[in-house]
Amino acid sequence: MNGLEQTLIGGVDGGTAILLPALGELLGERAGVVNLGTEGAMLAGALGAYAVTQSSGSIVLGLIAGVAGGALVGAAHSWITIRRGGDQIASGLVLWFLALGITSVFGTTYVGTVITPLPNLAIPGLSSIPWAGPILFDHNVLVYFGYVLVALIWFIFYRTRVGLTLRATGERPEVVAATGGKPGLVQFLAVTIGAGLGGLGGAQLSVGYVGNWFNNMTSGYGFVAVAVVLFAAWRPVRVLGGAYLFGIVLAAASVLQTHGVSVNQYLLDALPYLVTLLVLAVFARRGRSETPEALVRSLSRSG
Amino acid sequence: MTAVLDAAVAAPPPAPKKASWWRFSGSSRYLAMIVGGYVISLAIFSVLVSLKGAGAFSVYHTMVDSTLLNSNSRQQTILRAIPIALAALAVAVPARAGLINVGGEGQLILGAVAATGIGVAIGHHVPGVVSWVGMCLGGAVAGAVWATIAAVMRTWLGASEAVTTLLLNFIANDILLYLIYQSWKNPNGSGQPQSRPLAHSAQLPKLFGSQLNLGLLIALAAAVGIWYALQRTGWGFALRVVGGNREAARRSGLAVNRLIVSSMAVGGALAGLGGALNLAGVETLLRPGTTATFGYVAFLASFLGRHQPVKVVAAAVLFSAIALSGNGLQITEGLDGAIVDVLLALIVVVPLAMAKYRRRSA
Repeated sequence: MNGLEQTLIGGVDGGTAILLPALGELLGERAGVVNLGTEGAMLAGALGAYAVTQSSGSIVLGLIAGVAGGALVGAAHSWITIRRGGDQIASGLVLWFLALGITSVFGTTYVGTVITPLPNLAIPGLSSIPWAGPILFDHNVLVYFGYVLVALIWFIFYRTRVGLTLRATGERPEVVAATGGKPGLVQFLAVTIGAGLGGLGGAQLSVGYVGNWFNNMTSGYGFVAVAVVLFAAWRPVRVLGGAYLFGIVLAAASVLQTHGVSVNQYLLDALPYLVTLLVLAVFARRGRSETPEALVRSLSRSG
Repeated sequence: MTAVLDAAVAAPPPAPKKASWWRFSGSSRYLAMIVGGYVISLAIFSVLVSLKGAGAFSVYHTMVDSTLLNSNSRQQTILRAIPIALAALAVAVPARAGLINVGGEGQLILGAVAATGIGVAIGHHVPGVVSWVGMCLGGAVAGAVWATIAAVMRTWLGASEAVTTLLLNFIANDILLYLIYQSWKNPNGSGQPQSRPLAHSAQLPKLFGSQLNLGLLIALAAAVGIWYALQRTGWGFALRVVGGNREAARRSGLAVNRLIVSSMAVGGALAGLGGALNLAGVETLLRPGTTATFGYVAFLASFLGRHQPVKVVAAAVLFSAIALSGNGLQITEGLDGAIVDVLLALIVVVPLAMAKYRRRSA
């Protein structure tokens, strides 16, 4: 296995930890709610999944706990912003802080312990495709769930009534209300389910492919997920591309190091954020006209 | 289940106001709700700490004790309030123009980095006052440059500054780590990597034999200056026009983009100055985690103070005390210091969750 293959395999693993939260954030933003608490949902999901897996011995229960932890953050965010009219950006940051504090305080018990991560399941047939097979089809179940989810969300958005209502809520909530829909309910569900996916992304980090927990282990990935949704112009397939790009840069940094390239570790650490920023710089203007209308208000004003 | 969902779903359109008893006392009702909210928040906090085995009430005593009760801890609270208050003003200034600067953390870090670079380089060769001026200016410029990147990405490229400033924080932290693990690493240091310390003459002098230092006066001057600029100058007024209605501002001939960039640059300069003052007055050398999430605490403080300079500074002092109380909680109650993040969040969530009522009663 050469460095390139290693990088791509790692990129799919790490990219999935961004992809799931980013798809979740996409759901919420298409409904008109931006959730910086995605970072907090990831932390809650990462610790929830890790703690439950370790104490119950069941990684399935762990994944459920991860989703629940994330969804809890999402439900709080919807309650504050939709029901109580709180500022979306501030609410997201407050919930991130809350999750950061709680997971650090209650997670100290687990620092330094390890568990067996989710096993890799090679898909028969597909995984034996030369070169691409091991890169794409020899991963844990969350990676495959990510593939399916992109297709599912695309289908829901563009081919179903539910998706139409969701997108309409993000553009003109008052029109949805006038036609007898419930924009608040749509937003609540979109944000809560979305944050649940954020929790699953956190679980991918803690129990998915590493099998440990440390404080603040998401280190800004949730914010990157929000950035990915912006430069993907709210399109599911582009979100996939953006998330994997981040994952690949992340993996490249660590592969370079193991291959003894003498670059400072912290410069490599900065690389994924830098690349995200640059891609955002290139694509932000192009995506601007596609911003869901209801989102424009929340992204451009605070306080 | 339906009841739960109903409760969580968007508010119904505001009902026609009934002539009830509270209608005539909207603000006192709002006050009562805020107080009720804080009681609930503190109760939640008590439950959380008792889950970790600390006394539900003794934590509050420890917190007050370790931040307010003796002159030593009061001075520490004020010292920490300097970077938090300046970084909070760095949020408040762009907020006037409708911008969301979540980059206080990165701007603080780069302010401290620039101050270290300048202070270590010239500190031994020039009189103290030259180093102080150099470090303050360097910190302010570094913070301003960092914030301007996000502002320019906003005005030229249309990238949301709420997201870019966050990403820039992580890059700033990696720059800091790179420097202290590599080129600025103190060859004589032991243990955790850190930069060389500032020369004694380059450190900000203490005031009247207390622990407070010249940085406090500089920060106060900056705060007063920014209050004046926001409330009493054409620039401050223009920022509010831009924040109120960007399109109207453009049509009335204001240079909207230039105002946006200038508000971010001034904000970044304030945070950068905060980082420099904290370094030159308190830290005296660069180490990992130098800012200890002050930048994010500052964002919450600015929000709590509703982006009004005086209230923002007051909130910063309060949050400084809470952040400091983390040490006391760690030592006396055996809690992880991050517990203060929980309390900060629980405090800010109250006015957030009351936003609807504030508008109605205002």
